[in-house]
Amino acid sequence: MANQRDDFIIAIRYALLKKSAKQKFSLFFLILLSISIITLDKFSFPFMSSTRSVLNDLVYHVSVISSQPAKLKTYLFKKTKKHYKTIDENKFLRKEIEFLKREKFNNAYLTSENEILKEALDFSTNKNFEQNFSITVKVILDLESVFVKSLLVNKGTNKGIEKGMTVFSKDYLMGTIIETNYLTSRVLLLTDLNSKLPVIIEGSNVNAILEGTGKKKNLRLNYLPENYEIEPNKIIFTSGKDGFLTPGIPVAKTYLSKKDKVLIKLLADPDQALIVNVTNGQINQ
Amino acid sequence: MAKLTSKLKMLNIKQAKIKLFTSLPVISLYFFSFYHFQIPEVGKIGIFSFNFQMILIYFYVLKFPEDLGFGNIFLAGIINDTVIGIPLGTTSLSYLLLSVVTSYVRNATIRPVLTSEWFAFIPALFFSNLVYLVIINNFSNISFYYLELIQNTFFTFLFFPIFHFIFSQYQKLIKNN
Repeated sequence: MANQRDDFIIAIRYALLKKSAKQKFSLFFLILLSISIITLDKFSFPFMSSTRSVLNDLVYHVSVISSQPAKLKTYLFKKTKKHYKTIDENKFLRKEIEFLKREKFNNAYLTSENEILKEALDFSTNKNFEQNFSITVKVILDLESVFVKSLLVNKGTNKGIEKGMTVFSKDYLMGTIIETNYLTSRVLLLTDLNSKLPVIIEGSNVNAILEGTGKKKNLRLNYLPENYEIEPNKIIFTSGKDGFLTPGIPVAKTYLSKKDKVLIKLLADPDQALIVNVTNGQINQ
Repeated sequence: MAKLTSKLKMLNIKQAKIKLFTSLPVISLYFFSFYHFQIPEVGKIGIFSFNFQMILIYFYVLKFPEDLGFGNIFLAGIINDTVIGIPLGTTSLSYLLLSVVTSYVRNATIRPVLTSEWFAFIPALFFSNLVYLVIINNFSNISFYYLELIQNTFFTFLFFPIFHFIFSQYQKLIKNN
């Protein structure tokens, strides 16, 4: 029994402290170093934030530069696929033009109906919100891990981007800025588990919190009134209750799944976002 | 004289080639620390996602520790943390603990067999992921996807024999040449 314990201790000591011929550091030293870094990072010492910011900028840019060959491969593959898809689309579009010609006269009616609905929802711009910042940025890395669903964009504090700013893809809200470096920023997507957004459902006065689940076609609404059932094909807008976002920004839409279950999907498509707009909470102009 | 120069040149090229091939595990480790989110073909095939770095570290620390330095493992972990956006040092500590368990397995094993190495990967993965979760839970406010993590760990374990075979063949090829 004692011999077995001695063997175990010797093996552990050998694994931790013994350096092999080509090893420059012992595992014990590196483990201590890792623990020190985690502790320093946790307690946010002033020099750690600047070190982290420099390290982030450096790693992100190296990552972007050396990902170009991989991106070229993807680009060529997509282009070829798109070419064949265009041929099919062309046939389909010819048919659709015929259909749209017939629908042309309905447009005038739909436009006026849209105006009436906007008035009914009363989502006109709120003057309490400062609306003075908007910048177009490029997505340089699309990060999806077990822990965070986020994007990296190519502008940071050097262009006035701050934590908490909103990010739009086309006209739809996509996420918020959670980390800023000098040259880059990180966007937390609305699909992330950590994302919480106060919203209102179209055609009702129901307020709720929209939470991510990691999937863009299955978001979750929390704090709904008891016995409230969500209807399909309803747009979900920001309520502005957080005091930062303008109310009335379209965020998500309810839809009926194949299993006849009402689910919520994001209006913006983070996978397709290449150029996005960063604003300080106002609706994307 | 000219013959001697050309011979020396040949020797230098050969040495550089050998250096490149023996450094390939380290290069791959850094490469996947930078890119494992961007290349869907590697490590992110839908539900079959797996952690390539862990397989690489486990194999090389177990079989060819001279080809993969602990310093490199530490640095790759730091890069990984930066890219993912989790507290600095988390992945490093996780990889280093994997290395500790692997070193222990190496020292305790008398006759290495694939099956025993494969099953010894379970405690190595367990301790490594446990540290990961504990740090993420206590040192950050990040929520994470348990199911994806379990899937990832399971497939990392499942794919080990395939990569064991590939890496072994690669090492044989280097040694023969």
